[in-house]
Amino acid sequence: MTTPAQATTRPAGAPTPAGPRRRRVPLGLRMAPYLFVLPNMIIFGLFTIWPAINGFNISLYESSNGRNFDWVGLDNYRRILTDDEFWEVVRNTVVFALAFVLLCLLIATALAVLLQAQGRGKSFFRAVFFLPVLLSPVVVGLVWNWLLERRGGLVNTILTPFGGGDTGWLVESNLAMISVIVVGVWMNVGFYILILLAGLQGIDPSLYEAARMDGAGAWQQLTSLTLPLLQPSLLVVLVLSTIHGFQAFDFIYTLTGGGPVGATTLIVQYIYENGFVSPIRYGLASAGSVLLFVTVFCLTLVNWFIGRRREAV
Amino acid sequence: MSSDVTESGGGPGGSGRRTWTSVGHRRWTHVDALRVVLLSTVTIVVLVPIVWTVLGSFKTRTELAQVPPTFLPDSWALTNYTDALTRFDFLTYVRNSVIVVIGATLLTLVINSMAAYALAKYNFRGRNALFLLTLATIMIPLQVILIPVYQVVASFGMVNTLWGLIIPAAATPTGVFLLRQYMLTIPDELIEAARVDGSGELRTFVQIVLPLCTPALAVVAIFSVIWRWNDFLWPLVVAQSEDVYTLPVALARFNAQEVVPFNLILAMSVVSMIPVIVLFLFFQRQIAQGIANTGIK
Amino acid sequence: MTRRKLTILGLGAAAVLALAACAPGAPSGEGDTTQPPVESADPADFAGETLSYVYFTDGPDEQATRDLIAQFEAEYDVTVELEILPYADLVTSVQARLSGGNAPDVVRLTGLTDFRADLLDLAPYLGEDYVEEFLPGPVQAVTGDDGELLAVPSDLTLNGPFINVDLFNEAGVELPDPEDPWTWEEMTAAAQEVQAATGTPYAFAMDKSGHRVSTVLAQYGTQLVSDGEASLDVAAAEEALTPLIDMMAADTMPRDFWLGSGSRYAGANEIFLAQDVPVYLSGNWQVAQFAQAAEFEWAAAPNPCATECGGFPGGKFMAAFSASENPALAAAFIEFMNNTESQEAFVAASSFLPTRADLAEDGVTYPDRQADMDVFLADLVRTPDVTFAANADPAFSGSATALITAMDEVVAGQSDLPTALTGLQGEIEALVAELDS
Repeated sequence: MTTPAQATTRPAGAPTPAGPRRRRVPLGLRMAPYLFVLPNMIIFGLFTIWPAINGFNISLYESSNGRNFDWVGLDNYRRILTDDEFWEVVRNTVVFALAFVLLCLLIATALAVLLQAQGRGKSFFRAVFFLPVLLSPVVVGLVWNWLLERRGGLVNTILTPFGGGDTGWLVESNLAMISVIVVGVWMNVGFYILILLAGLQGIDPSLYEAARMDGAGAWQQLTSLTLPLLQPSLLVVLVLSTIHGFQAFDFIYTLTGGGPVGATTLIVQYIYENGFVSPIRYGLASAGSVLLFVTVFCLTLVNWFIGRRREAV
Repeated sequence: MSSDVTESGGGPGGSGRRTWTSVGHRRWTHVDALRVVLLSTVTIVVLVPIVWTVLGSFKTRTELAQVPPTFLPDSWALTNYTDALTRFDFLTYVRNSVIVVIGATLLTLVINSMAAYALAKYNFRGRNALFLLTLATIMIPLQVILIPVYQVVASFGMVNTLWGLIIPAAATPTGVFLLRQYMLTIPDELIEAARVDGSGELRTFVQIVLPLCTPALAVVAIFSVIWRWNDFLWPLVVAQSEDVYTLPVALARFNAQEVVPFNLILAMSVVSMIPVIVLFLFFQRQIAQGIANTGIK
Repeated sequence: MTRRKLTILGLGAAAVLALAACAPGAPSGEGDTTQPPVESADPADFAGETLSYVYFTDGPDEQATRDLIAQFEAEYDVTVELEILPYADLVTSVQARLSGGNAPDVVRLTGLTDFRADLLDLAPYLGEDYVEEFLPGPVQAVTGDDGELLAVPSDLTLNGPFINVDLFNEAGVELPDPEDPWTWEEMTAAAQEVQAATGTPYAFAMDKSGHRVSTVLAQYGTQLVSDGEASLDVAAAEEALTPLIDMMAADTMPRDFWLGSGSRYAGANEIFLAQDVPVYLSGNWQVAQFAQAAEFEWAAAPNPCATECGGFPGGKFMAAFSASENPALAAAFIEFMNNTESQEAFVAASSFLPTRADLAEDGVTYPDRQADMDVFLADLVRTPDVTFAANADPAFSGSATALITAMDEVVAGQSDLPTALTGLQGEIEALVAELDS
């Protein structure tokens, strides 16, 4: 890909630790990176990568229980790609992920910048925004399901004076999707705020002094200074939120169960239900996982390279 | 909207300088007011569901079903809590959860930071491939590879042990990713200088790099704690006897086949929330300082 | 094969047959009915051994199970490790464990479909005649293709309605007579009358579950599947479901509750407990918790009749895995947990119905709400045999899920009932074919 230097926010042209040294690196230095990654990679390899490869292998078989296998070649893929339900699920997932990523980026950036500017009470606000991240997704889904009930739910009770007291949040397809997106953002955005705050923390304050001397207004400082310098952190948020968006499952399962009529069923729920709910179609579920994986991986690469290119500009 | 970026650009490190409440430095402008209103609004949106859950956990089933809902519970009796908690050995589950959380978090910090360091600061053959692999593994939800992972864990004899809960989860790819991104911002010159001074690779890492990464390490630590504390599906499958159950697994037993009393569910949810929230509030000062006091600007 | 045919042929109305025949050779009477198994298991043989039992609980049954386990442990000098899993994750967890070569010895299940190939044939341990100790209906579900005994039915449930007696009295509407069941028209009319008089939000509620909806189908004389075939009579099903769909369209049956839970099971018990509905179709397992949680007068009501009467059966099974390291002990444990004394204690504590023929004949004394349990027992006699076959079919749970999806589409207004049901019939056929292959 690229050398690490390109990804740093240091001025360009600084020497990289590798490069010029390569010819005379001692054995110890050459071995060091491998020893550093080894423990992590052993655990990765054993408990994630190997099982994932195994999962890929299983996608070529049909199995009703994950133990007895019949070779079917690409049949599972053919079946899944011709399944109308799958395409509906894909559509839902794309809608959800797109809205989720955009809202997270927007809200997290806005709140991080506001927080950074806040003096008194900053740590209070930061702690509060982070609270939902601490909760188990299953609990979040259960609780919001209760809050969004049409009759007697807290949200509709609050909305009653404004004429929205009879809104079927989890009952009408579009509203249910909106609810799922909002809850997803509610429970995750604190995570991204924290990442962006760490990034903002790393921006040299003297740059702002300089900008102000030059007569830059608040908005100009934000767009021409803060956002460009925040780009590495924004990239992290973009990559992670895309992944989280495509993987959303637990809280949706307890919030809407994927309903009404499948309107909020996303890809992981589709995979899960094929893999573990009778009638079990384990091979089909594995094929779905492989497709999900490939899609998200490609998206991440795209995010990554676009992010990198803009950074270089 | 962000006129004050300048003022507090120095972060909490500049403790209390030039904030809107500081006497004599600035007046409260409309921008400040707007900002506080915005932040307070978001605070309410975040807090109301949580407070509502806590209030609800004291209500009886009948009270919960009332329309419109009551605001405060009729009584603050702990019936829901005692009903639920007296049914099992709460302390064992909390102890297991704590062991798993601490063990996994320490292991995560050690191996993730090592891997992240190599990926960020060395130029070695296979680095990009390993980084891509790391990114790729973030994208695999556990639900999707549950059975193959279980087979591996079973073949190591780690089923029904706390090790089986700690080790497989420790190599969190997100942790590696976050740490690597952070380490990229550490100037190479620092590392070069240490090498010139004859510092060994490991020593450079431990004495120079790690201290600089405190904010990122803090972030990864918090997330590791949250993830491991809330982990449900994996402990459920690995833990088989009650002496290995973690709290979420024990709590989930209330999800019976056909009858799930929602008042108990709420009480259990609150029970599962409290420890992480307390822990976070307790360490939040340290975390904030960790972020503020780093020498990185 | 022969055993299976026999049991199917032998299906008189389950309880009636039990009362009359009580299977010759089967033990009758009280006390110790532990049968001498074929390989007579001497408790001393097992001393010091360990057994794992994976369990899920509905609440009151847990303590009864623990007490019985303690007795078993004392009697056999063994250790039973009871593992209680949340119901929703039971299948997932056991699947993973089986594939990791780490199966539990004994498991409590609501259906055998997902595990059929992995279950231990208990007949060699408990004897060919052992199965005759149980009611023929539930036995259908545990009989393998070649006559194996794949599990033991450990309790029986029956779907049926509950009524809010206070609301009925307030409205001055007559209570149904358990001896002379009401019809569907009478039931919905009564429910709507009570709703109109008392101003409850709803007239009728039922759990969102394909199993519960099958009750209505059965009352209108059709089943999703039976004898390994898709058997939905679309016309009958349309007649059966139209009242439900109409009530949901009018929101006299809670429409939001139905649509708001997606593909998950959802129990409407909270709606009934909140006195928001006078009539609630669920099943006998609610009795124990209503007895504890209801703050009003309620009663079990007879199932309404259409072309058929009676309810729809369900229940739990105890099975051992063939991968168990100690199959003999597993079999002995299952037998112990289901002997007359144990099962009586278990079902009495948890408001389940017995699966044992002798208990069905002599009746079980429930500590609480005996009259309501008697309503269910009376309905059991009226329940058609074919419902047992339907519930036991491997394609049942998949078909029940498809049924809920089809109804969802209609309730949400995305499809009309005849179209949805025709589609459903096709889906069930595909499912049966898939499971056969």
